[in-house]
Amino acid sequence: MSEPRFRLSPEIVHETVDGEVVAIDLLSGSYYSLAGSGPAVWEVLAGGASEPEITAVLASRFEADAETIAAAVSTLLSQLRESNLIVIDEQPGEVSIAGGSGEKTPFEAPRLERYTDMKDYFLLDPIHEVDTAGWPRPAA
Amino acid sequence: MLGQPAVQAAQPDLANEYFEQLQERYEQAAALRGGAGTLDLEMAGLRLRLRYVGESLREALLAPFDHLACEAGDPALTISLFDTASTGVEPPPPLWEPIAAAPGTNPVARLRSERACVLAAAGSRALTAALPAEGVAVFHLPDAAAIPASERAAPIREALQLLMAARGRLMTHAGAVGRGGCGVLLVGRGGSGKSTLALSCALAGMEIVADDYSLLESETLLAHAIQSTAKLTEDSVERLGIPTGAIDAAGFEPTLEGPAKALVDIRGLAFAGLSRQLEIRAVVAPTVSLGEAEPVVRAISAAQGLRAVAPSTIVQSGFGGESSLATLADLVRRVPSYELELSPNPTANAAAVDRLIGDLG
Repeated sequence: MSEPRFRLSPEIVHETVDGEVVAIDLLSGSYYSLAGSGPAVWEVLAGGASEPEITAVLASRFEADAETIAAAVSTLLSQLRESNLIVIDEQPGEVSIAGGSGEKTPFEAPRLERYTDMKDYFLLDPIHEVDTAGWPRPAA
Repeated sequence: MLGQPAVQAAQPDLANEYFEQLQERYEQAAALRGGAGTLDLEMAGLRLRLRYVGESLREALLAPFDHLACEAGDPALTISLFDTASTGVEPPPPLWEPIAAAPGTNPVARLRSERACVLAAAGSRALTAALPAEGVAVFHLPDAAAIPASERAAPIREALQLLMAARGRLMTHAGAVGRGGCGVLLVGRGGSGKSTLALSCALAGMEIVADDYSLLESETLLAHAIQSTAKLTEDSVERLGIPTGAIDAAGFEPTLEGPAKALVDIRGLAFAGLSRQLEIRAVVAPTVSLGEAEPVVRAISAAQGLRAVAPSTIVQSGFGGESSLATLADLVRRVPSYELELSPNPTANAAAVDRLIGDLG
């Protein structure tokens, strides 16, 4: 059985600024900061990738032993899945994943932080999408 | 593909149809009342025409825009407003099931298509239908004599948000203050101290564009004014010494985000310079201090700046998430971000912002 491939959830918006990913979950109102080597993982996930592929890309970019990188990637993918920031890609298209070609940089474990201070607003002022049959569909 | 009809029937554009019906109802209401009034504004560098049926709607909802009034001309954007109580004209029947609004909440039913967007707020009962790319919107309330607090605090916010976004102006959850045409965006969620700091700066003789929401023009980084009112808690009114005459007659009303706030007319404050726009040189995130005597300004990363401004702008607006985040990310890449730990002394806080603006050149 082939390894599952992951991609970023369609319900989030994200930007990478100064080596940190800021992602906002439009369904829950939670937002996230991803730092350390996390943005490198995120970049690979944006094109869709499996865990071994992500590990291989990181191993080509960072100075660390394979086990350390594999463990860090595995932990981060679990956290990203639990937070609904990534989903399994059911219909993966063609992908090309480029490893690092330059000098390797020191490895820093990925750091994911979650902020929920907007949730109250979200619950007070929710938006219900109305579908073509005219029925509201709760956004969250 | 098997099982798929060769030609699919086109889906009706319900949002567009609803917009057209609401527009017709507005025209009926205007005809019944012998015509509509108009208020032409220059907002965010664009000519915006507000067409309203009935003086009560004009007085209750549109007065906070008077400082942006300009001579009549060909408008880029038009918003038409009417209510049922004074015209007898009902809006078209809803296309959505009623949504229950618990006290203190304002859930919204949203119907949208590529061309149109309809927003029906269950709490305030405000109805907005817009064709953003075409620059037109219609706004309806059941009764202009009973404007809900949320509408008075941010009049026709959804209509402005939709029309301005289509013209590259992002309604940003941020105040803006400055000096000499240059200034800073004050960012952060409700309760972070934006409004109090913005009013402290205005009272210290600085220019103020907004305390809570401003229109950010992505290309020029100009922050534009929307309304001339601010929202303050009772504690802030007292600490700033806001004169009673500047406080809205409705007094302190509960807000969605917490403590009761009153609307303050910035034009009624001595020394305050209400400006149309400021060129943004930095992002400042105020934080409430635990008793520091002096305010402290610290540089923070661009990502921290983005985390301070983007979630409350995007989560509360509920649309345009991707492009809004891109605009705000561009902002924090172009200008530095700071955290300002507020002191209990409003004058000292304003002086800290003033010094920062001076240092930024």
